[in-house]
Amino acid sequence: MNRKKFLSSILIAGAAIPVVGKKNIYQNDYDKPIIIPKYLSAGDVIGITCPAGFITDKEIQPAVQQMQNWGFKVRVGSTVNKRDYTFGGTDDERANDFQQMLDDDSINAIMCARGGYGSVRIIDKLDFTKFINKPKWIIGFSDITVIHSHLNRNFNIASIHSKMCNSFPDDFSKAEPAQIDSIISIKQSLVGEKMKYSFLPNINNKPGNAAGALVGGNLKTLESLSGSKSDIKTENKILFVEDTGEYLYSIDRMFWNLKRTNKLSNLKALIIGGFKVKPDEAGEDFGKTIYDIVLEKVKEYNYPVCFDFPVGHQKTNYALKCGVNHTLSINNTECFLKEI
Amino acid sequence: MIIVPKYLQKGDTIGIVCPAGFMASDKIQTCINTLQNWGYKIKIGNTINSVSQNYFSGTDEERLADFQQMLDDDNVHAILCARGGYGISRIIDKINFTKFKKKPKWIIGFSDVTVLHAHINSNYKIATLHAPMASAFNDDGYKNEFVLSLKNTLEGKKNKYQCAINALNRKGEATAELIGGNLTLLAHLIGSSSDIKTKNKILFIEDVGEYLYNIDRMFYQLKRSGKLDKLAGLIIGGFTDLKDTDRPFGKTIYELIDDVVKEYNYPVCYNFPVSHAKENVALKVGCTYQLKVAKNKVTLQE
Repeated sequence: MNRKKFLSSILIAGAAIPVVGKKNIYQNDYDKPIIIPKYLSAGDVIGITCPAGFITDKEIQPAVQQMQNWGFKVRVGSTVNKRDYTFGGTDDERANDFQQMLDDDSINAIMCARGGYGSVRIIDKLDFTKFINKPKWIIGFSDITVIHSHLNRNFNIASIHSKMCNSFPDDFSKAEPAQIDSIISIKQSLVGEKMKYSFLPNINNKPGNAAGALVGGNLKTLESLSGSKSDIKTENKILFVEDTGEYLYSIDRMFWNLKRTNKLSNLKALIIGGFKVKPDEAGEDFGKTIYDIVLEKVKEYNYPVCFDFPVGHQKTNYALKCGVNHTLSINNTECFLKEI
Repeated sequence: MIIVPKYLQKGDTIGIVCPAGFMASDKIQTCINTLQNWGYKIKIGNTINSVSQNYFSGTDEERLADFQQMLDDDNVHAILCARGGYGISRIIDKINFTKFKKKPKWIIGFSDVTVLHAHINSNYKIATLHAPMASAFNDDGYKNEFVLSLKNTLEGKKNKYQCAINALNRKGEATAELIGGNLTLLAHLIGSSSDIKTKNKILFIEDVGEYLYNIDRMFYQLKRSGKLDKLAGLIIGGFTDLKDTDRPFGKTIYELIDDVVKEYNYPVCYNFPVSHAKENVALKVGCTYQLKVAKNKVTLQE
């Protein structure tokens, strides 16, 4: 066979594979209703994996204990206690562990052990074919925003934005009530309780009522997904954002990214969670607060906006069901977010 | 086809503005003196001797008005941004380019000014000048080859640059339109109306003061938004003042980039003199260049 013929036969053979193989799962009809994974019952199995930063076996023990106390079984993934510099294993190791948990029918939910950085390095290596047919809850926040956004954008499958293994208190009896409530909200969400969170009014809030699917996560991560196939869609939704360790100028720039990519114009509501701001350097006073930064971006819109919602890199970080419909009520005396 | 603004003649006027961060006027004086020695008249914008007490050189309205005025003034033949920092994203959608489109002029700067380069390239196909700004003239900088490359470019001389070789370079040749700037800003603009198109182009990138993991994330963003797979060539400039996390990232900056682009076949060169350090040559964004990455020599020329 000459070279040309040989090459063309390879091309034909190669082209035939997808036809007899699997269909393209990335053909989302965006307006489909949200798919809710099955809620958990006692005896169900939660897998723990590290799609991003590394964690030791010892560090996940409080979470393992607690989840067992709730009546679940725990399966510890191969990336726990594995380390490739900052990552919980190489990209292939992290992708394989996550894939195995996605595909294993005996695992009913997947909790990411911690965030850090790394989910975006493996998201395109993951095959969600089996997961789509039999969705399960995926749990985490911060860097895990990549996964929430990817699932919501492409597959309309709900996921849980919450604390992870690295935030479970060593000793529940000594933990602060807010932290305990946040951890318990994970369990409540997993077993199918309708969540309702009350929080304090803030003088900067824009009052109002709204209903819509809840989406969001870490602001920096959302910006870094812009233009990719994991990019979040926000039309007619309630968007929540939080971040930590960023300068005000950088937060301002990220909100401009949201605005200039049309992610703020057709919201039902905007929820601002915790923003741990990195102090400006001497002589570089930004001159605007987080309230100023947000309110100037949304001044032409009429939807409600609230600040200091208990979500973020902080003790009070309640479990939120991404993709699920919620109502938000903001007034001067009472604020609440309620799952419907 | 790209529209190339008129090169400058002796006696032409350069307007100087601060569209983003504040800059003390004494730090701009050497730049002004040098541009005058080069034979240009200078028009100082209102954002230069600003009384601003915060990060910015003025309010959004003040920075916008200053830039707009320079853009629309027929007697201003080029606009030099005195410094970057942060702030052009706040005013870019309010700038009116109607008059500029009819009578383009060189817009000069880098870093935050990447917003202007990208926006003008994507929307108006007018060439802009990625080049040293006012602080590069200080401390005898006005005499160095990098600042002088700005002088040569403004006079219409064709750019021809060399760069040291690097073991990770990927050999090859490309002749294509040049596009690029600061990585953080390019990532920040993705999905917006100022987003750059990179297909069949030579992309150059530099950044300053970023964590390695964050640079990795931004390269993944470029990759996942389809900006790296159809390049004609890639020029990696300086990544200065790099930071790392307590748990080290585990790769050098060049290894990190090599990992992201190793599946592609186009030429790649590292440590090209475009950066936040002294090494920062003038590059005409939108103009066609030839990049040659050979075993013992790297050249970029118009």
